[in-house]
Amino acid sequence: MPAPPTNDADAPEVGIGWRAPHQRALLEQRPALDFIEVHAENFFAPNAATRAPLLKARESYGLSLHGVGLSLGSADGIDPWHLDRLATLVADTEPRFVSEHASFARGTWQARAVHAADLLPLPFTREALDVLCANVQRVQDRLRRTIAVENLSAYLAWPEADMGEVDFLVALSQRTGCQLLVDVNNLVVNALNDQRAARIDAPLPAVHRWLDAIPPDCVSELHLAGHHDRGDLVIDDHGSRVHALVWQAYRHAVARFGAVPTLIEWDTDIPALDVLLDEAASARRLGRDALRAPAMEPAA
Amino acid sequence: MNTSLAQRQHELLDALLQAHPPGPEAPWHGPGLGAYRANAHAHAERALLAAYPVVAALLGEEAFQALARALWHHRPPERGDLSEWGAALAGFVAAQSDLDSLPYLSDVARLEWALHLASRAADTTPDAASFAWLEREPPERLLLRLAPGTAIVRSPWPVLSVLDAHLHGEPDFATVARRLAAGVAENVRVWRQGPALRLTPIDDTIAGFEAALLDGHTLGQALDHTPIDALAWLGDAVRSGLFAGVAPTPDAIDNEGEPPCPPSH
Repeated sequence: MPAPPTNDADAPEVGIGWRAPHQRALLEQRPALDFIEVHAENFFAPNAATRAPLLKARESYGLSLHGVGLSLGSADGIDPWHLDRLATLVADTEPRFVSEHASFARGTWQARAVHAADLLPLPFTREALDVLCANVQRVQDRLRRTIAVENLSAYLAWPEADMGEVDFLVALSQRTGCQLLVDVNNLVVNALNDQRAARIDAPLPAVHRWLDAIPPDCVSELHLAGHHDRGDLVIDDHGSRVHALVWQAYRHAVARFGAVPTLIEWDTDIPALDVLLDEAASARRLGRDALRAPAMEPAA
Repeated sequence: MNTSLAQRQHELLDALLQAHPPGPEAPWHGPGLGAYRANAHAHAERALLAAYPVVAALLGEEAFQALARALWHHRPPERGDLSEWGAALAGFVAAQSDLDSLPYLSDVARLEWALHLASRAADTTPDAASFAWLEREPPERLLLRLAPGTAIVRSPWPVLSVLDAHLHGEPDFATVARRLAAGVAENVRVWRQGPALRLTPIDDTIAGFEAALLDGHTLGQALDHTPIDALAWLGDAVRSGLFAGVAPTPDAIDNEGEPPCPPSH
């Protein structure tokens, strides 16, 4: 049975990350949401016991499969095992959205294939762009659909660069036809860390400049989440409510990109489902307000 | 492979995966690298706990987390799905001299990993039609297929008792302690019956027979190695969902020039 409609045609579609602690509550309550997102790898096991809850939820909600382990930027290429599992899951669940990250984790270490289980940044070089494009193309060819690729929060900067991050991602989209998933929280986290390292004066104008440089027709989804300031570094931990600065940036993003589907992510210290639904309501409200507001001037 | 990018990515992976963080002279030194290493350790602890709750209970939280971090650096993940990581724990535990006071720990780990794999194994429907091969070919030309995820764990320790005590509260820990002190050996079969995980104690003969089948030996070879009442075993295997199908060996097919499908009645 479908979930109740959100009855909010003037707002962006809003979904939440559906994690294990809310598996039962969501299926029982069926709150009004436009879609749910899961990490694809959590449903790789090819059996009904693993897949049944997802297929049940799929009856009520649009599905976003968000990968965290494909390692699209690896010079060693895509792991065929991983791509096989993802392709099977996509075929079985027919998701509305499939997305991954502009990152790498696979490589060779001590003569073994390894995977660092993280979203490691790429250098913004032509060489890395070629690798990323080839891998994204391979994934899209196998899945027979385009995917969306997400910008990272990065805690390391490569010394080598041929271009900035925006040019890198826009070129990826133009060469492969993939969409961009803009994680607004990641932008704010990077900007806060840049400010801490005295690379920029203020975070919000930097985030707005980043958003303003992205062609709107590239963007298919926005992500929102909480972050943690541990003093020496701001960490994208998805463990709290969306911060005020991120909401401000989100408003700017919606004003620029339009009613793009928006996800509330929460992956650590996961609270009650109602808290996520409250965040989703905030996103819907702020998104609606941003769409109604007069067109914003690009950031200086 | 893109060589120079691969080399640079290798350098970062090395800084993350080596047991100790690189020193101040290293290019990746700093709080950012520390954040990634801390995240990796959190992944290691969480992933290993999901697969090895009893090993974790036996060691205590702090020691288990240290073990998870050490295993991460000794044998990092190979796949982008962390549920696939941790197979090396039993061997790693066996090599740790500071764990000599828990000589059964490695076998408990083997049993837990078998359970973990069974929980993630593919579903299967028993191929009842393939039974017909049992009448048509001699045992030495037949391969019996057991349900995906089936494993046999043979141990000189009461590993099933240890597992059951921790996961189900039965037997009680005093009984387990007596069995450990007496060196009671337990063999365990792990398998999936539909969606349900099953594990049961089995004797040496059945363990040897089923292990031979899992190793790819023919039914004839398995019976030569460990003579059992094959018909009684087969009836039990069908009823319990252990039996998945039977097929002729490739040799049998080649000799008869027939396709690999069961004969019809």
